[in-house]
Amino acid sequence: MVDELLFFMEVLVGGLLAGTMYSLVALGFVLIFKASATFNFSQGAMVFFSVLAFVGFMQDFNIPFVLAFILAALLMVVVGLCTERFVLRPLMNASEDTVLMATIGLGYVLEGLAQAAWGVEVRRLDLGIGDFPVPWIADNLKLFISALDITAGVVAAIMIIGLFLLFKYTKIGLGLRAVADDAGAASSIGIPLKHIMLLVWSAAGVVALVAGCMWGARAGVQFALVDLALKALPVLIIGGFSSIPGAIIGGLIIGAVEKVLEVYIGPFFGGAIEGWAPYVLAIFFLLYRPEGLFGEKIIRRV
Amino acid sequence: MNTSTNILDIKNIEVTYDNVILALHDVSLKVPKGKVVALLGANGAGKSTTLKAVSTMLASERGKVTKGTIEYDGTSIEKQNPSQMVGLGMVQVLEGRRCFGHLTVEENIIAGAYSRKLSKGDINQELEKIYTYFIRLKERRKSQAAFTSGGEQQMIAVARAMMAKPKMLLLDEPTMGLAPQLVAEIFNIVKELNQKEGVSILLAEQNTNVALKNSDYGYIIETGRVMLDGTAQSLLSNDQVKELYLGISKKGRKNFRDVLKEESLTKKKIN
Repeated sequence: MVDELLFFMEVLVGGLLAGTMYSLVALGFVLIFKASATFNFSQGAMVFFSVLAFVGFMQDFNIPFVLAFILAALLMVVVGLCTERFVLRPLMNASEDTVLMATIGLGYVLEGLAQAAWGVEVRRLDLGIGDFPVPWIADNLKLFISALDITAGVVAAIMIIGLFLLFKYTKIGLGLRAVADDAGAASSIGIPLKHIMLLVWSAAGVVALVAGCMWGARAGVQFALVDLALKALPVLIIGGFSSIPGAIIGGLIIGAVEKVLEVYIGPFFGGAIEGWAPYVLAIFFLLYRPEGLFGEKIIRRV
Repeated sequence: MNTSTNILDIKNIEVTYDNVILALHDVSLKVPKGKVVALLGANGAGKSTTLKAVSTMLASERGKVTKGTIEYDGTSIEKQNPSQMVGLGMVQVLEGRRCFGHLTVEENIIAGAYSRKLSKGDINQELEKIYTYFIRLKERRKSQAAFTSGGEQQMIAVARAMMAKPKMLLLDEPTMGLAPQLVAEIFNIVKELNQKEGVSILLAEQNTNVALKNSDYGYIIETGRVMLDGTAQSLLSNDQVKELYLGISKKGRKNFRDVLKEESLTKKKIN
């Protein structure tokens, strides 16, 4: 009995920690959705692009870890800059659908650029953190929990707190929230939309890099990362597209649910339900709570 | 040229949307420094379009000034964008209040100072000054803006604009949908801001009577053209204005249908 409970805990904790990785990817989507009400289809490509550049800097140019990370982060700021200048600004007055389509195109451009620059083979990313159980926890709590999962959890927590403080207490954060509420009114009082766009795209780029590092360390830096990012979709449907806490909780729920279902219900379906179980959950949310758990309801005075 | 006395000088502008829809045919108007000027007219007459042409917000609605010139504070606004206009001291309060619903009242107002480089202390000082005009907002400073009343939201919108320290305010239908008492309150505040802060004001209104009573000068536009202009006093006593916009005539009260009937009768006579 105790063994069974321990096993369940292990599955659950492993799921939750893996879920933080989904949260990280979803976070990038939320940032851009907040500022431009657009689902950024290129987020997956940004993950792939950023982490491939990071690994490329280290392996092809022998740049040390920290410097390579900073370079990759700067590169993502440049990507944000170019996106604002060459994609968003010309589409300033276009409909949201047009911008959405543009992000799909941007995704292909980024994927293509990344592979043209760094090649197509799967690369190994060694963060110096093993993807194996931490001995201390295994000895004391009898739980086998991967060090990489724990790291991802801690990193996600730091990013989230950082972003929360940025939005709540800085001037540019106030500007972002104003733009998210009413971009027209924001520009009427002199909040420059292009600065805000630049901020969110750069921030989303850096978040993509961090998420890419975590995923890359586990599964290798490869093209499949682009599709992994799509897992953020059910996360966002559950958490709410415009909510940072929602992205976090949604990620945790998806992570935990998919692992638990995989282990306990999976065998009845012949396994591998991890791939689609989150989407089933998402459909239920769409039916019964379409704004998600934390999505901002459209406030209307009665 | 008497540009020094006029803060805003619009000369014969024509505005089109999407390159085809002609919204303004020929509008010219002047706002003298430190004065309140009312822009009056029915729905779709071109009031909002005129204001947006001045604040350069037209571009974001695919509108364009195709003829004529707009001079603000002695320089052409042709090459400016909305945030540059705010930097030059011209702020528009958009139609329909447009508060940031998820932000608190105070955050809304602080957001108005975005274009200025102020320290935390400066901002608080400015806030206190603004609250002396909008006492009601001070009580509600921590509420979420979306849950405040229509009158309060209008006050937030004006207070937010004032945080940018404007030389000129463009108010687009500030009293839309408000109870008469609130209309009076809003206009009192606008008057006070005009007199104490020296802000020049161009306001678009459908509420002809109240607007003229609180303005120095008025323009009446119809289908994109200025039909009539004059001092607020002269407009208030003008028979045509009385008949068409104030619903009063020499023969007593009259409704719009009677006016139309009369018009068609005179047309028949001409034909």
